Amino acid sequence: MSDTGDSQSSAAAVELRRVTKSYEHGYRALDEIDLRVAQGEFVAVTGPSGCGKSTMLHLIAALDAPTSGSVLVDGHDLLTFRDLSEYRRNHVGLIFQFHNLLASQPIEANVEAVMFGNKMTAHERRERASDLLAQVDLAGREHRLPTQLSGGERQRVAVARALANHPKLLLADEPTGSLDSASADRILDLFRQVHEAGVTIVLVTHDVAIAAAADRTIHVRDGKTVEGVSATPHRGQES
Amino acid sequence: MDFLAFMVRGVWAKKARSIGLALAIAFAVLIVVTLQVSSSGLERSAAAVISVGRANITVVQKGVSDVLSSTIDQSELDRISRVRGVASAVGVLVATEHLSSDTPLFIEIGIFPKDLAAFGVTVVAGHPYAATATNQVMLGWRAAANLKLHVGSRFYAQQTWNTVTGIYSTGNAFGDAGAMFPLPSVQGFNRLSGVVTLVFVKVTGTGSAKNIAAVVHRIEYSMPELTTITTATQFGRADQNLVYLQAAVTASSVLAVAIGAVIVGNTMLLSLFERTREFGLLRAVGWTRRRLIALLLGESLLLALIGAAAGVGLSFAVIALLERIPSLVGVLHANFTADAFTRGLATAVGMTVLGSLYPSIRAARLVPLKALSYE
Repeated sequence: MSDTGDSQSSAAAVELRRVTKSYEHGYRALDEIDLRVAQGEFVAVTGPSGCGKSTMLHLIAALDAPTSGSVLVDGHDLLTFRDLSEYRRNHVGLIFQFHNLLASQPIEANVEAVMFGNKMTAHERRERASDLLAQVDLAGREHRLPTQLSGGERQRVAVARALANHPKLLLADEPTGSLDSASADRILDLFRQVHEAGVTIVLVTHDVAIAAAADRTIHVRDGKTVEGVSATPHRGQES
Repeated sequence: MDFLAFMVRGVWAKKARSIGLALAIAFAVLIVVTLQVSSSGLERSAAAVISVGRANITVVQKGVSDVLSSTIDQSELDRISRVRGVASAVGVLVATEHLSSDTPLFIEIGIFPKDLAAFGVTVVAGHPYAATATNQVMLGWRAAANLKLHVGSRFYAQQTWNTVTGIYSTGNAFGDAGAMFPLPSVQGFNRLSGVVTLVFVKVTGTGSAKNIAAVVHRIEYSMPELTTITTATQFGRADQNLVYLQAAVTASSVLAVAIGAVIVGNTMLLSLFERTREFGLLRAVGWTRRRLIALLLGESLLLALIGAAAGVGLSFAVIALLERIPSLVGVLHANFTADAFTRGLATAVGMTVLGSLYPSIRAARLVPLKALSYE
């Protein structure tokens, strides 16, 4: 099934062509799915649990490979990438539902860690991390450990980490799923800012209010995209 | 923040595991350094025997287990004296005697007074003993100081009271801590009539390496039952015990490294299971396999350095304790050499790299998504 939005004619930031992902026990998480996300677009992916939306995100993040079909980023098939680490580090910013921070490292180090491997001095890394933490309202707390922060603050650190290497594509998997409303709103504001800066965003969420912030909503059911939605339901409603 | 600081925090975060690992490394280093320092001390003490005479060549009986078991008879000594290129050949009988618990191995050298000058002995007080005297002795200046004796004192050795006729210096700590007796006296006491232990040879001319090599060749060719030593490092040629000791030290070191590597490997594998999600995350956010291996090996090497430092420190303490054990007093002379510390460091690094290589590679090969969902 093909997604037919306005983005069809523009250059695709991400394109899934007849992508299928099956697992050993026969379960088919994605079934010949097609998706096209334009450069700079903010797309929300919604759907019930187990419908395959996280799998789709993992394939775009090159954390997993499709069973069949192609995942193209900027027109290039991920299978042809020689260095997926470089792609994950510099092209993609990844945000998980449960922030996944390194508990042993202060939050500044968590942000800096993704910059190792890029040609930056320790001073440049520290400055960049400091700036990003200030952008997410965590200035002055750089040396705190993740365990010393609230859930919302940790997720803001995860956002800062995802943005560290100026990604062109931000992928977020239920980033507000474990947060209270105020924290979720703060995260959403950050996404809007990032989107305004021209970053393409693919956001997986259950929350239709969060999805409403996107330019376009893709609904996934049983491993297929079933519709393109642009309505703006109330926050907290399940789609 | 740099990569090193990131690494240090990773080590510090798991204190119990890190301390355990560093202790395992320290223990292996302790074993290796202590064995090496002790054996090196024994080797140095033993090798000092051949240096007393400050000769160009020391001749010893071939194949003896212990250099002090060497026996060279008078006819062989005479033949050595007649070898072309030999300026002088001095035969001495070296024996040890238990004087007291403080001096369990007192060196006694039997030598004719006429050979003292050729042997490199300087009489610094009094005069030499008579050639055939049975109760006269010269003490090395260190021995005289240790035993608080002087010229004219009475000194009980070889089951008789001897008069100290002189104090000598050889310039060699080992020789100066012993005593010299007329050769027949030591031969008689040890029931080795007409026999010497070592023959100290000085070559004619300037003693160039070429001259020495020529004389060595002539002696060994004409008297195959004897062997020659020209440097302390050749001491093993005349002392099989030392060779066995060195082999035992090497074997023990290898064993310590192997056991240590297993402990490190086991701990690192446990750590891998504990930190699977962390490694999955690092791979997911763009760390290369190589960087992950560098992190894990770096953490291990950091612990290796800490363990090596602790192991060396502990070895000082253990050796100090060993030297106080009554049966080892005067026998064990610690010799802290650069080689011992190098071996200690090599042990720590070797066992760490061996032990952590496989877990590091395994961590690097984790599939990020599976690792992230690891419980």
